[in-house]
Amino acid sequence: MRALSGLKVIEWGRFISAPYCGKLLADLGAEVIKVEDPCGGDPSRRYGPFPNDVPHLERSGLFLYLNTNKLSVTLDIHSVAGARLFKKLLETADVLVENHPPAQLLQMELDYEHLKKCNQRLIMTSITPFGQTGPYRDLKGCDLTCFHLAGLAITNPSGGVDDPDTQPPLRGPANQADFLGGLSAAVSTMSAVFAVEKTGTGQHVDLSQQEALASMIRRNLGEFSYEGLIKTRLKGTQPSSESVLGQCKDGTFYALCNTDRFWANWLEVMGNPDWAASELFESRAARRENWDAAKAMIEDWAKDQNLDDVVDAASEKRVPCMPVNSVKGSVNSDLFAARDYFAEVDHPQAGRVKYPGAPYKLSGTPWAVAQPAPLLGQHNEEVYCKRLGYSKEDLARMRAAGVI
Amino acid sequence: MQSDHNVQRLPLEGTRITDFCHVWAGPHVTQWLAVMGAEVIKIESTLRPDLTRSSFAGGRKLLPGLNHSVDFAVLNLGKRSCTINMTQPEGRDIAKELVKISDVVTENFGGPVMERWGMSYSELAKIKPDIIMYSGSGFGRRGPYSDFPAYAPIVDSFVGFFSLNGYIGGEPCPYGIGGWTDLTAAQHGAFAILAALHHRSRTGEGQYIDLSMSEVVGAFIPDVIMDYTMNNRVEGLQGNRDHVMAPHGCYRCQGDDAWVAIAVSSDEEWQAFCHVLGNPEWTRDERFQDNLSRWRNQDELDKLIEEWSKDQAQDVVVSTMQEAGVMAAPSLKTEEVVKDCNLRDREFFIDIDMPEMGTVSVARLPWRLSDMPEGNYEHAPSIGEDNDYVFKGLLHMSDEEVARLRDQQVIV
Repeated sequence: MRALSGLKVIEWGRFISAPYCGKLLADLGAEVIKVEDPCGGDPSRRYGPFPNDVPHLERSGLFLYLNTNKLSVTLDIHSVAGARLFKKLLETADVLVENHPPAQLLQMELDYEHLKKCNQRLIMTSITPFGQTGPYRDLKGCDLTCFHLAGLAITNPSGGVDDPDTQPPLRGPANQADFLGGLSAAVSTMSAVFAVEKTGTGQHVDLSQQEALASMIRRNLGEFSYEGLIKTRLKGTQPSSESVLGQCKDGTFYALCNTDRFWANWLEVMGNPDWAASELFESRAARRENWDAAKAMIEDWAKDQNLDDVVDAASEKRVPCMPVNSVKGSVNSDLFAARDYFAEVDHPQAGRVKYPGAPYKLSGTPWAVAQPAPLLGQHNEEVYCKRLGYSKEDLARMRAAGVI
Repeated sequence: MQSDHNVQRLPLEGTRITDFCHVWAGPHVTQWLAVMGAEVIKIESTLRPDLTRSSFAGGRKLLPGLNHSVDFAVLNLGKRSCTINMTQPEGRDIAKELVKISDVVTENFGGPVMERWGMSYSELAKIKPDIIMYSGSGFGRRGPYSDFPAYAPIVDSFVGFFSLNGYIGGEPCPYGIGGWTDLTAAQHGAFAILAALHHRSRTGEGQYIDLSMSEVVGAFIPDVIMDYTMNNRVEGLQGNRDHVMAPHGCYRCQGDDAWVAIAVSSDEEWQAFCHVLGNPEWTRDERFQDNLSRWRNQDELDKLIEEWSKDQAQDVVVSTMQEAGVMAAPSLKTEEVVKDCNLRDREFFIDIDMPEMGTVSVARLPWRLSDMPEGNYEHAPSIGEDNDYVFKGLLHMSDEEVARLRDQQVIV
């Protein structure tokens, strides 16, 4: 038995946020039926990366990762018959996860108030850029615009920039905002599962990506509100993080010296250089004040070092320090091998590929990829015939009519 | 003592968590669960308070004492605090008594501290067979780096996150959203605990959860990782760009450090975008006629867009783009986020009365259920604020016993 065995989820989502929410549920054992458009399916099928860069609806790395352990059915939700099929699926579901514009759902009469009528206990999780209420409700948004609007890009990169006139606020890499929306939605959805057990009535989970992101800078927001501290992006004007990027002969390390102990041990790693005895660095407060000077000396020292030597010595002295790896470095690391992190998944179209694995290890109900991502409409017969009671002839007719 | 009235109908009402978490990543796990109604009891002591109560983050106005920290206030809403000296055997015995009446135990120590205290999962399962135990760490509780000091940026650096974060043509940069990976790890942790509670409610079985921050970083960059595992391609710095869309960037506007983010995802949006710019000659250039051409020529495209945007007011660009159906948003500063009309309209900020700080405006969690109260947003506890509730109320100690334990520095 899996942790979420028995939980029945319908996912009507596109690209990343709703599918990541569905994946978190599916990978712990929930039954997730993914509803896709018959013409091309989820747009992430077209996003890639593709093996050998050959685009193919069944071979997109992003799609393959996001949709493990799910079933796929196709239906044209804009058709009358398709909408009816969709509602029939919801009758026996516990959860619907979706990420469509609220106005579109209202117009299609697929909003929570309407859908509740097919299932009083339905949890409907809606992920949108700005939420189900508020003046931005009907604005268009995506990963980039949400990230900037939530005030996250303005502090990236850490420590500021050399020239704020030519270096814009910087988005986080690779769709962080969309993944976060899916993650926060999954946590909220689980709370709703507990809520339904208590109240017996369904819940609409209103997940705003703007809020999910703004919640991540809760510390900055609290500090600003309480202390009125305004930071600028110019390098050197922000509180020091007492960190350093050191370029060695053969690579770069990142080290943190934000305690007295880390600093003392780091000096040992460097062989206790004379310059460190200066009063500029004698206390933590002094170091914070003069960190740029300390950093310059460390950078200078690093130039003649081998990366592995520095990281090994730091590890021995228990100073937080790691190489600035590319994903190549981490994928091939001894850490991920020892923890068996990557999942090797066989897929009928994409072959055997390494995917990022479990984000947590549960001793009693392990995370697992029991099924690779589904082919488009792979489970039409299983779902429509075996569960909803349609005949194969019905299926053929619906297919001919373009409904599925 | 905190009032209980608004916890009554919340989803996790009736769930008790003995919480050894500290700093960022751990407290954010239990922050979610506390707001959802779980009773979260922080185990601290004045000898070893949660680091965020003191000068850990540093660099700002610091008041003396352990009950004046904004950082602590925003990550420990709705929790209780009791003070137990865990270096004393009797302190550990008391903590174990609390575990016996708890559903979940959480910790994120820098090494095997729970083992040292005789409170590993296997030990705790002996005294509370259905306990769920959560351990959060940088590189996993098992494995070659299990006792390695880990902070979020160290983990980010190792996994490859820095190598993607930075300006095109520049150098990899530390990620600027402080504690990002702490908090994404925390939400994965909260999800795993909720799943484990769900499982326990049906089977009576507890379990152990080992969460590694490094594995969470990988979960959020699968396309980059799989481009390597499929194609041996090592992706580099991404700037504000996308794999497919162009334009997709952040452009200078009139005024002091004012910027607008714009993303164009189709030919239709491109036409609308050009219309907002007044259809200048260059928009009809061969180099920008289709999505692929725009993507290939985005260096030039970005320059031309910025030539236009730098003389425009930020709010006008955003509203005219949005009216035309193009995705656009201002890149807000912290002081602008707290004033944002959408967040205000949705009452995203909540005023918390902190006993020794006055009012602190706190960002809520993005957690909204239609048919539930707002969540437990009681103030973050002063240190030891709930000692009476825990020692006398839950563990039924007499006044004399509590006094003795205080004398002997067990409750401290």
